[in-house]
Amino acid sequence: MTATITEAEATEVAGPSKLRDAVIVAAIYLASIVGALILSALLVGVTGGSWRKVFSALIDGSVRNDGAWGQTLSGMAPLLIVATGAIVSTRAGLVNIGQEGQLLVGAVFAAYLGNHMSGPGPLVIGCALVFGAFGGALWAGIAAALRFGRGVPEVLSTLLLVFVAFPLLDYALRYKSLLLDNDPTVKQQLNTGTQLPSDRRLPRIDFFGNEFHFGVIIALVVVLLGALVLARTVWGFRLRMFGLNPRTAQRMGVSAVVMGTAALVVSGALAGLAGGVLLAGTPDYRITVGYSRSFGWNGLLVALLARNRPLLVIPMAFVFAALRTGSNYLGATGVARDIVDVVQALLVLALLIPPAVLFIRDRRRAVAATSARV
Amino acid sequence: MTNSAPLVALVDITKRFGGVVACDRVNLSLHPGEIHGVLGQNGAGKSTLMKILIGLVLPESGEIHIRGVAHRIHDPQVAAALGIAMVHQHFSLVEPLRVWENVVLGEVSGIDAARARTDVREIGERYGLEVDPDARVSDLTAGQRQRVEIIKCLRRGPSILVFDEPTSVLTPAESLELFAVLRRVVQEEQRAVALVSHKLDEILHATDRVTIMRSGRVVASIPTSEATAPSLARAMVGRDVVLRSQSAAAFGLVEMIADELALEAPTVGAAAAAPAVLKIVDACARGAGRRTLLDGLSLEVHPGEIVGIAGVEGNGQAALGDLLSSLLELESGTVEVNGEAVPTGKAGAMADAGVGVIPEDRHASGCVLEMTVAENLVLDAPHALARHGLLDRRAVRDRAARLIDEFDIQASSPEAPMSSLSGGNQQRVVLARELSRQPKVLVAAQPTRGLDVGAIEYMGQRLRAAADAGVGVLLVSSELEEILALSDRVVVLYRGRIIGEMSRHDVDLERLGLLMGGEAA
Amino acid sequence: MSFFTAVWDIFSTGSLYGSTTRLAVFLALAAAGEWVAERAGTLNISVEGMCLVAAFAGVAGSDVTHSAVGGVAFGMFAGVVVASIQGNMSHRLTANQFVVGLAINVLALGLTSFLRQQVDLDVRAAGTFPGASHLPGVLREVFDQRWTAYLAIPAIAGCWWLVYRTRWGLEVRAVGENPQSADVSGIHVNRRRREAILVCGAMCGLAGSYIAVDTSGFSPNMTSGRGYIAIAAVIFGGWTLRGALAGCVLFGGAEALTLVVQRLELDVNRQFLQAFPYLVTLVVMAVFAKRTRQPQALAQPFVRGLT
Repeated sequence: MTATITEAEATEVAGPSKLRDAVIVAAIYLASIVGALILSALLVGVTGGSWRKVFSALIDGSVRNDGAWGQTLSGMAPLLIVATGAIVSTRAGLVNIGQEGQLLVGAVFAAYLGNHMSGPGPLVIGCALVFGAFGGALWAGIAAALRFGRGVPEVLSTLLLVFVAFPLLDYALRYKSLLLDNDPTVKQQLNTGTQLPSDRRLPRIDFFGNEFHFGVIIALVVVLLGALVLARTVWGFRLRMFGLNPRTAQRMGVSAVVMGTAALVVSGALAGLAGGVLLAGTPDYRITVGYSRSFGWNGLLVALLARNRPLLVIPMAFVFAALRTGSNYLGATGVARDIVDVVQALLVLALLIPPAVLFIRDRRRAVAATSARV
Repeated sequence: MTNSAPLVALVDITKRFGGVVACDRVNLSLHPGEIHGVLGQNGAGKSTLMKILIGLVLPESGEIHIRGVAHRIHDPQVAAALGIAMVHQHFSLVEPLRVWENVVLGEVSGIDAARARTDVREIGERYGLEVDPDARVSDLTAGQRQRVEIIKCLRRGPSILVFDEPTSVLTPAESLELFAVLRRVVQEEQRAVALVSHKLDEILHATDRVTIMRSGRVVASIPTSEATAPSLARAMVGRDVVLRSQSAAAFGLVEMIADELALEAPTVGAAAAAPAVLKIVDACARGAGRRTLLDGLSLEVHPGEIVGIAGVEGNGQAALGDLLSSLLELESGTVEVNGEAVPTGKAGAMADAGVGVIPEDRHASGCVLEMTVAENLVLDAPHALARHGLLDRRAVRDRAARLIDEFDIQASSPEAPMSSLSGGNQQRVVLARELSRQPKVLVAAQPTRGLDVGAIEYMGQRLRAAADAGVGVLLVSSELEEILALSDRVVVLYRGRIIGEMSRHDVDLERLGLLMGGEAA
Repeated sequence: MSFFTAVWDIFSTGSLYGSTTRLAVFLALAAAGEWVAERAGTLNISVEGMCLVAAFAGVAGSDVTHSAVGGVAFGMFAGVVVASIQGNMSHRLTANQFVVGLAINVLALGLTSFLRQQVDLDVRAAGTFPGASHLPGVLREVFDQRWTAYLAIPAIAGCWWLVYRTRWGLEVRAVGENPQSADVSGIHVNRRRREAILVCGAMCGLAGSYIAVDTSGFSPNMTSGRGYIAIAAVIFGGWTLRGALAGCVLFGGAEALTLVVQRLELDVNRQFLQAFPYLVTLVVMAVFAKRTRQPQALAQPFVRGLT
């Protein structure tokens, strides 16, 4: 009861000065982002680097150099797909934070099929991507089975499965019958997977000198499709109902086991698909130890930054991809590229603050409104 | 006694919630050694007034004088420091903790377990509130929990005690015990007690003085000895009470209703002739910790009748509601709707079989607060309003608009979030959705809890209309008056099973009371 | 070599018990802290980040102060700092606790890896506990640890005492089970939760600095998910401290086993061994998680007036 009153009055109070409020909101967001960047710059400065050089190198690497746009766009693709999947599970009220592992397993599955299946190239790529998605779904499916069969919190099982995924890849990289490079012309390459044959890679698209791979198109389709499914379909409606109030949903015919498993499996499948896209789209086209290289974590952070709104994922993924590609150019500055991870995490933390501040402000206002005349 | 200086004086208290005036220049004085009844219908403003006294709600204007000094009570801690304590209607106990741990919870000194145990025993003996200090609260009955709550309160030695609807979870016998405790608390230590209630018999039985509130105003404040049930009822409602009216559900008029009922012609025969639309046979279920929830419950509801489930809360009402909401799976026993067995605990099975439910806690299983009103109105059947898996927004809007109109739901727009609606309107949304799918069985669990009198009357009319249209209605309520006013047949639920049944025309209140306490068969 | 002789070889290797103790002590410190936080209602996944940052701070502290004591002090301080970020973000600003935890873990990994490459640090290892080296056989393996390991005994006992014997602990338990009731009783729900997280941070600080002054230096991601295993131990233990500690011995033992198997050069797949501790944790949780009763308000934020 109290809650209803508070909210009703909060909106009532917020009415009159909408423009001023919008300015304040924008200012709080800006301050948080600038704060995170200043903190990062300080870190660089304190450890003996030059933040100007770092900044300049990041811009060069991500957008200013020739063809940098293409690289950044290519880097966006897996992030977009992972983030869309993360949004699906979050909408269902589930905390899947093991995308790193799911992506890795997806890449393993895609690499296996991509090298071992016979048939026309495009068909093989298609099948490899689907198989990659299957791998990711399988990995998330384990967490779903543990959650709904045995009551293990999916927060923990998805995380632990990340640490099982890495040895799985290492194992597959030991045997030629699995993933180890079997090119007879090359000397034995330890811990390196077979390169995908040239007809089994995602086509590259040249756009005014910026080259990016077809995975970008796939990713955009996934994002748009995800937005449509979540906003407009019966399934999305029921998914949202389940995430917000599982008891009501159960009464209305949404089974926790079915819907919860579906949400986890879909989010895992998308992470797996991202792994496949990464493999079939990134030059060298071969899997190596530790292949996921934080794409899973970053995709998850992108979803968090976008506050689980599918379309907001696009600009957020761009920022993260730019930081990633830019970090390749940090070598000359003498600053370790891990600084990029720091910046990303700080951004996530910083952007948690504004909505919280606004929430607390609205509550204070509501309380003040009820006690103003005492 | 009322000549002594007041311990508490609430002067000209006014409080609005949005456009609704909850308290309008209310005056109330509590004197030491006196039990002061605060009587009013649901929504009359008595709970708000008490919340103001204990610092949970701030008034817009008015003053609170404690022992003659004005205070601003902006926090429950301030109230506690002034010696004001409240025994909450919904308990403030932490279930997995032990009794003595709960009793010391919220104090500030170090923990002295031995002393806390002794205190629990001593207070228990002095006031007749025996309870084992080392028992876990989760193992106690509702009545025992209330004892713990009172002990917790008394241990702090308050001079002013507020009881908010304390009997809603008690059997009639337990209620009498409670009033005896109150009497001792007041007389021996010269405390002041405010007893908030909407039940006439309680006020007449237990209080020294009564203040009657209606629509946020005090309409009378008189010594209880000068009051009679009809005069109190008239003051509460503001007109001569028409006993045939459905709104009798809102009053504590047990005896008068019973007299009235005795005059009515039996109507049960006709309904019983048709085959049962809901048939539960030997239902057994357990909850967390292997606790028995349902213990061989059998029940039939025929089309066109309202079956009232009477009983003290915590005897399986919630489990019965969950069962018919597909939220509970039976260990043994069957549920049949319209002659066909329905699997229990399977998502959506009950709803698909034609069971509509107005749940006890609508926020938990009746609606989704974060979704819009329109979405809440189509929660049950989004697929019926979709093409190729895509929701047809216009169809959703049209259906919402139609139901909002038909059920007179007050919402700023169909797109308004459900959380922005008042409790009564949220309940109407649930009712509209459940009735719109033409159920064969309608379960209404505590359908009027927390609603104002207009909403209560509306709910009664709707349930009656549904029954008249041939729906089998199952009314679960802890308000005996509500059950007696609406039901064609009354059954009593005790410890997860039905232990007695009587038809509307031969209700025996004494036997009903005994049954609710599990004392007769 | 038969299966049985292999098993005999493994279990007769003294270092199995030494390693088990070392790994279990780390897990137990973190798990005891996590247990306090979870009893208050926070499923605190930033344990991993707390331990990692504390490990780095422990190395830095022993480098700056040239003593292991300084390392432990720095480590604990760092753990508390991380905890105050988690606590304030999730229980003052009402941000989602998993989102905060995840961001902290990513930040911790990035920050420590970054700093390690920017600065050179020398670790000052802690000395061993006097007297233990004279013990016979397995006892020596178990007890001949650095003195920092022995800090675990008072620290963990202290956690138990705090939760079960103090008013603060009673309030923490109430807050984790039923924050609404606790609030009505006049307890500051979110303050207790923040304090419980600070305790968790201090314990993780001990855990992190323990591995810092036990090793030759800081390596990136040196906790490698063991913080998550500590969380699993709390769940395995059914939210009792005793059970959580048993889980730590079990999971520590599983990892020690893989070390011994590698040392004996037995014919067991190396990747399987790498995954083994995590697999054991998953399987054990699958068996035990459902039987236990968790704090009712675990992972549920509290805002007054909202239920």
